[in-house]
Order: sequence, then C-alpha cells, then structure tokens
Amino acid sequence: MKLDWAVVWDHAGALAQGTALTILLAVATMAIALPGGLIVAMLRLSGIRPLAWASTTFTEFFRNLPLILVIYATYYILPLATGIAFSPFATALVALSLNVSAYNGETFRAGIVSIRRGQGEAALALGMSRLQAMREVVLPQALRRVLPVLASTWVALFKDTSLVSVISVGELAYTAMEIRSQTFRVLEMLTAMAAIYWMLGYPQAKLVDAINRHFGISE
Amino acid sequence: MTAPPVIEYRDVRKRFGDFTALDGVSLTIARREVVCLIGPSGSGKSTLLRCTNGLEAIDDGSILLDGKVLPTDARGVRLMRRRMGMVFQNFELFPHRTVLANVLIGPVTVLRLPRAEAEARARTLLDKVGLADKAASYPASLSGGQQQRVAIARALAMEPEVMLFDEPTSALDPETIGEVLGVMKRLAEEGMTMIVVTHEMSFARRVADRVAVFERGRIIEEGPPAQIFDAPTVERTRDFLSHLGWSG
Ligand SMILES: Nc1ncnc2c1ncn2[C@@H]1O[C@H](COP(=O)(O)OP(=O)(O)OP(=O)(O)O)[C@@H](O)[C@H]1O
Ligand SMILES: [Mg+2]
Repeated sequence: MKLDWAVVWDHAGALAQGTALTILLAVATMAIALPGGLIVAMLRLSGIRPLAWASTTFTEFFRNLPLILVIYATYYILPLATGIAFSPFATALVALSLNVSAYNGETFRAGIVSIRRGQGEAALALGMSRLQAMREVVLPQALRRVLPVLASTWVALFKDTSLVSVISVGELAYTAMEIRSQTFRVLEMLTAMAAIYWMLGYPQAKLVDAINRHFGISE
Repeated sequence: MTAPPVIEYRDVRKRFGDFTALDGVSLTIARREVVCLIGPSGSGKSTLLRCTNGLEAIDDGSILLDGKVLPTDARGVRLMRRRMGMVFQNFELFPHRTVLANVLIGPVTVLRLPRAEAEARARTLLDKVGLADKAASYPASLSGGQQQRVAIARALAMEPEVMLFDEPTSALDPETIGEVLGVMKRLAEEGMTMIVVTHEMSFARRVADRVAVFERGRIIEEGPPAQIFDAPTVERTRDFLSHLGWSG
C-alpha cells in the first residue's frame, strides 16, 4: 500500500480550522463547567434538601451515561424541548458542559469536604457569613487541592471533544473524517489526526504531571 | 466582682444524641475577669465555649451576653461573634494566606475596614504578640507557638469584648508554651475578659480570677484559684488535681 502524504498538506487549512474549533470547544466547555460544577457542588452542600437532591441526581445522571449518548440525546431533545434550532456547535457545547459540570461538581464537592472543619469554624468565629467563609477560606484551599483532578478532567475533555463529530460539528475529528471520505486516504488522515491530537495533548499531560507534583502532596 | 456580668450561663444543657455534654451549667463572667475552665477530658469545657459563640446550639437554659439572650438568627449570631474572639487548640490559621493576611481578614471582610486601616491595625497587633517580622510569612513556616500568637492577633483584630481560649497550648511543644501564655497573661493584665479552657494549672493559678472545675457536663466546684488549688472542698476536684500531679 502506497501512502500519499500530500493529501494532508492539501487540506492543511481545513485541518487547522478543525483544530481551532476543537480548542475552542474544549475551552468554552471548561469555561461553563467550572462555574457549573461549583454551583452543582454548592447546591449539594447547601443543606437544603430539595437542592441537594437535585444536585445529586444531576451528577449521578450525567456521570454515569456514556458521553456519546448524551451528545445524541441533546441533539434530538434540545430543539424539541426549547423550540429553538441549535447549531451543531452549540448542541455540542451543551452536551459536553452537562457532562463536565457533573464531573467538576463531584470534584469540587470532594475538595470542599476535605478541608478541615475547624477552618470554616475559625472563619465563622470571626463573624463571617457562611458564604464569606466559603469564599475566603474554604474554597481557595479546596481549589488548590483539586487542581490536579481538574487538570486531568481537562485532558480527558480535550480528547472527548472528538465525540461530537457524530453530530457533524466541524472540529478536528470530523474534519479529518470528512477529508478521508472524500479522498479515501484513510491511513494518512488517521495519522494526521493522531499527530495533531498528540502534539496538543502531550504538553498538556506533562503540565498535569507538573501540577500533580506541585500540588498533589501539599498538607 | 461588682462589675456587671458580660456573660451569664443559666442552667445550660447540651446533648449530642443520647449523650449529655452539658448538664445544667450556670456561671457568671464579669467584665475584665479571667475565668479558667479545668476538668477531665470530655467533661464539656470545649462544648461550653462552642455554645458561647454559637458554633453549637444549646438545647436548654440560656446564655446571656450583656444581659441579653444570645441571638439565634444568622445575622444576630454574626454580630454576636464579632464581640467574641475565639482561639482554637489547633490554631486554625488560614494556610493559604500570609500571617498579615490572616490578621487582616476579619477587619476587611467582616468589619469592612479600609485596607490601609485594617493593615495598620494588623501590624500593631502582630507587633504586640512579638511577630512583626513574620507578617509576610506563611503559617506553615512558623512554629506552633508563633502560629498560636498569630491566631490570638487574628481574634484581637476584631476588637472583641471577650476572648475564648480552647486549650490554646495543648498542641504546642513545651518550649513554645511559655510565649503563648505570656501573651495571654499580658492580655489579662490589660483588662480583657477571658474564658480559658486549659490544662496549664500554673497559668490558671497565676492569672485566673476564678477557676471552674468541670466534670461530666457540670461545674462541680468554682472559686478563686487559691481555694481550688490549695483547699478544694470537693473530693473530685482533689482527685482531678492530684491526677494531674498538682501538689499546690
Ligand atoms: N459534635 C459532637 N457530636 C457528638 N459528641 C460530641 C460532639 N462534640 C463533643 N461531643 C462529646 O461531648 C463530650 C464533651 O466534649 P468536649 O469537647 O466539650 O469536652 P472537653 O471537656 O473539651 O474535653 P477535652 O479536654 O478532651 O477537650 C465528649 O464526650 C465528646 O465526645
Ligand atoms: Mg476540649
């Protein structure tokens, strides 16, 4: 079998666009899922029964469904439920945000409850409100502690964005597969795709390792 | 002891499930008075302090601050806590903040003092506890005794009327206990009203105006240190003190 790498260079522009969309999707998802996860965690720890219950249900639902199912389901249900036609990108953003918010919620919750009770009490004893104690004392410490987990979630998310190619979002995986079906250059396109994901992912994974070394064993 | 009471406990009761931690505690703390709470482990000393500033709710009886029953609504509790400083056995400094930022945090977030004013106040207090040079350090780099002195400065930054100490030296190496007790003694001499849970009998003897002996959620004996330590009238007080190796 003869490999023709020219096909990759011929479509370099499209691949670059796909890559940009992959990065944009991952960044936008995290930008939503960080505050999203924080809200999920706060509701869970609010001590208000219905809110805690809703949060737990949300978390357990989206953490335990295959992401691809969530993506398909969002694609079919979201327009029906809202009466609005969502672009594939917006649909993908919603699906990924639901999934990652569930994970982040659990991460934040675990981080918050890992902070010694006395820390929150010391803040309250100074006259702070519960919200102030959370914001000034508990959360900053919890965030530091869960940073490695958030970083791993980020790396996983970056790769998982490829799943939204099933609903025709023109990110990297979809773009590569499209070129493949037009040119029948399967191995070349898979290789190019792998190379791009790897080149982007590897430094991130190394960064995560560094974060783990730095924050993983503090206190 | 003619000064009006700052804090008054009236038949205070507290249960944790089936366990009675406070079984009818009555005690009066006058302004400028230093009262030491002593007694065996689990006798309810910490619980009384925690009920005093609302970290635990009492089940029965009442606690009065300046003649008024302690509030139970969130806002009232916050206002009440501003008037009481609490010092914990494990310091509970905020590890992600510098020493200065630990002392600043109350005045800035709770009292909403302008930053410069809060910082001036914090530096004065750090100077007072002998740690002016540690302002930029993080708590983890300090000795236990230094951390506890920062914790005292942090509580004082709220300019409380009463200070509550829960075994402030129990987690310390012997060589740093003295520096913390020294700070507390000076505070007492300046007229701060203090309730001190302690196992440091020599401190109680030298500094306390009154000592209350706890056992099983009750005060079994109460009086000036000379009475408690030299002529206890209750058999169990004598047992407790001799158990500690106290011989007068
Ligand atoms: N949150 C809680 N839940 C259940 N039991 C508790 C709780 N807090 C305290 N207790 C129990 O109440 C009793 C009194 O506790 P407390 O901490 O007031 O004792 P203490 O006199 O301070 O003792 P120590 O000298 O060991 O600090 C103990 O038996 C303790 O186990
Ligand atoms: Mg105690």
